[in-house]
Amino acid sequence: MSNALHKKRDFIERSMLSALAFLKDATLSEECANRKGFLQSLDPRFKTISFLAFLVTAVSLKSAVLIGSLYGLCLLLVFFSRIPLNYFLTRTLLFIPLFSLCIVLPTLFSMVTPGEPVWSFHVLGINAIITRPGVDGALLFVVRIATSVSLVVLLSLTTRHSELLKVLRLFGVPQLFVLTVSMCYRYLYLFATMVENIFTALKSRVGMVSRHQHGQNIVAWNIANTWNRTTQMSEEVYMAMLSRGYTGEPQLLSEFHATLKDWFWLLCALIICAGLFYRGHTL
Amino acid sequence: MHIPDGYLSPATCGVFGAAMIPIWSAASRKVKKTLSVRQVPYLAIGAAFSFVIMMFNVPIPGGSTGHAVGGVLVAILLGPWAACIALTVALVIQALLFGDGGITAIGANCFNMAFVLPFTGYYVYRLISSNSPAGSRRRVIAAGAGAYVGICVAALCAGIEFGLQPLLYHTANGQALYSPYGLNVAVPSMVLGHLVVIGWVEVLVTALVVKYLQKQDAVFFEGGRS
Repeated sequence: MSNALHKKRDFIERSMLSALAFLKDATLSEECANRKGFLQSLDPRFKTISFLAFLVTAVSLKSAVLIGSLYGLCLLLVFFSRIPLNYFLTRTLLFIPLFSLCIVLPTLFSMVTPGEPVWSFHVLGINAIITRPGVDGALLFVVRIATSVSLVVLLSLTTRHSELLKVLRLFGVPQLFVLTVSMCYRYLYLFATMVENIFTALKSRVGMVSRHQHGQNIVAWNIANTWNRTTQMSEEVYMAMLSRGYTGEPQLLSEFHATLKDWFWLLCALIICAGLFYRGHTL
Repeated sequence: MHIPDGYLSPATCGVFGAAMIPIWSAASRKVKKTLSVRQVPYLAIGAAFSFVIMMFNVPIPGGSTGHAVGGVLVAILLGPWAACIALTVALVIQALLFGDGGITAIGANCFNMAFVLPFTGYYVYRLISSNSPAGSRRRVIAAGAGAYVGICVAALCAGIEFGLQPLLYHTANGQALYSPYGLNVAVPSMVLGHLVVIGWVEVLVTALVVKYLQKQDAVFFEGGRS
């Protein structure tokens, strides 16, 4: 069984899955961003500033309880923005926070973090002691990471990606860089589809590659071929830009319109952050 | 190697963000000089290429697979300054749109993966390849060595950044506020994984791709595009 599973996930399948995962993530994000929810109705500029304020607050606070309250607010916003909770929790908790929990596990024990013992047990003849500073530190670390990841994913899920990239202009990022980022994002779809096509073709013609050296050569050849296609494409894109009047000075269209609701939201967000900072200081 | 939000203190993130500003500024000046108005499509597509390299899974002995970061390969193909911008663009997209690598840690991630990795790798490549012919085997070996050194030095930087956190940011009773392990744990655990496994995947991909590109158009490696 395990052998069969192992064979199913060779490098061809994994590469196809990587490309498909990117396309699936991007499509699902756009679908969520187009829903009629609370966060989707806000101006991307105000939403980004408020989320950055939340993020800086989450990273700066030293109390797991206060950061946890920010996580509670994040889940509330998920609900009002009509994002499927299961999808959100799977996407935010399964990878980075779970990985962080594994990293931080040894710090629970007195060998790494000495202090007041809260629980002890015997394992393989060793007396393992879990300490209070160890639990507090691990909790703070994991809650902070889960909250930070959730905030970033929520911002990305409720804002159309093209708009989110345009917001970079707000922070003084040069127009040329924003244009490069926006163009790069568009080409990612094309390249991800290209990678998926390459490996689908390989799967249908070759099936499975049993020798890893042969597989390595195939991958390298395909990366080299992708590079050749990208350089060719950059020339064609440049010519297309010239034919449409590009002079080397990019101009981005801005379609953002702020309403009273956006200002009110930003004010609330800043008050929440200030309140949490104040509470963090007095604790 | 992508550092998520919450692993580094805000002050550390600020320092690395500030350190990257002159590097980005120098990179954009250099690239503007060499690429002129062609830079936008060239860099955008170069950035997309560096993003896409990670989608190619490489079979490794033992039946497992891994993927390369491709930072040194991009530096050899585009030149280190253009690679710095292309990798920054890829990292910004990963952090902002896919939650891969933190937004507050973007300065640190760019320092490790868009500055240290391509520059170290590229100059090791230049040092070893020297004035060898464009189609020579020496260039393939140089590319592999550059990739290995580049990724290991970048991992060392990430390890030092993690390891400094408990020394600099802790409570009165010594409890770490951010990444919990000191230099004695963080540095070896970051570096060993790259020295033993990830570095070799990087060597394999970079060297083989350079070898294939040499076969197709060896002239390309005469001086690169930096």
